[in-house]
Amino acid sequence: MKLEFSGTRALVLGGSCDLALCLAGCMIKAGLFPVLTYRSQKGQDRISDGLKAFCGAYSTCYLDFSDRDSIGPLLQEDPVIPDFMVDFVQGDIECLIASGESDDINRYFSQNVSFRAEILKKVARMMLGQKRGRLVYISSSAALRPNPGQGFYSAAKLASEALYRNLGLELAGRGITTVTLRPGYIDEGRGRQFIRKDHDASIGKVPIKRALTAREVAETILFYLSDSARGFNATEISLDGGLTAGK
Amino acid sequence: MKEVFERIRQMLADILDVEGDEILPETYIVRELGAESIDLLELAVSLNSGFNVEINDGDIFLSRLRDYVTEAKGKKDDVVLYLLERLPFLKKDRIEEMMPDLEDGPTLKVKDLVSYVEWRQENG
Repeated sequence: MKLEFSGTRALVLGGSCDLALCLAGCMIKAGLFPVLTYRSQKGQDRISDGLKAFCGAYSTCYLDFSDRDSIGPLLQEDPVIPDFMVDFVQGDIECLIASGESDDINRYFSQNVSFRAEILKKVARMMLGQKRGRLVYISSSAALRPNPGQGFYSAAKLASEALYRNLGLELAGRGITTVTLRPGYIDEGRGRQFIRKDHDASIGKVPIKRALTAREVAETILFYLSDSARGFNATEISLDGGLTAGK
Repeated sequence: MKEVFERIRQMLADILDVEGDEILPETYIVRELGAESIDLLELAVSLNSGFNVEINDGDIFLSRLRDYVTEAKGKKDDVVLYLLERLPFLKKDRIEEMMPDLEDGPTLKVKDLVSYVEWRQENG
């Protein structure tokens, strides 16, 4: 099946992670133009290295969820309104609810929930001007089934899912829709580290008995950006090989 | 005022799907034209891009008007002066006109949008 897209410009938040780079390659091959955000020189270098085969077929811009001032200039230098947005950003925090430092907790939610709401406001208003936009939030199976120590992570994911869900609820009538994906174990980045640490406790619980590859997750995201998936709006979809379906 | 009003009239007509001649400076946007929150959001985006001015939704749509009135009364301040400080795009006579009208519902009129845009154009 050849996927068709209503638009070409795709803003990819957290553009330097492995999954984002894999997605960007798939997007370019599908005729889209990704604009990847980075928060450091290291991230910008990773994007350049990861996409060196696609020079000129993408662009980058600075955005740091811990730097509120970075919202203002977002897309200012490159003011073409995005038709799509894919959001991979999520800070890491692992501690028990009863042992989290107050400052860390406040900072975590400020960066991972409040800042995200501000980004959504900005991008949604840009999309509203053209009455078209599709946003995909990459959540996690841990949003619903966290391990001990993942409480803050899970809470921030669920809060972010709620933002996307309501955006899709509020603006669908104006052509702007949203979908949240909840991937399970992925053999890439943080997921790969976790799987290596304890293979049986992770992959052993997945009915398909393997982790997802970055490529299959990227292709799934691409599908949800496409016109074929327009019926999915304001909803959350598991992409975990059946991990969260049973006990 | 006329040029700004005409452009706002066209925006409102497009967004609310009403005839342009139904829209006058004295027309109430919510009470008479039936604008909903999503329409106001779309209008804010249109005003921002159409006039290239920053739009504060809370200010232009007078969303905090009642809160300000309550605050002023709580502090025993002069309500009109208090509102003039917080909503500087409105003239004193317009605020005085609004006061007895508050109980009948949202007081926002088309002319208030015009005032806001003109004030933004002059003050950035």
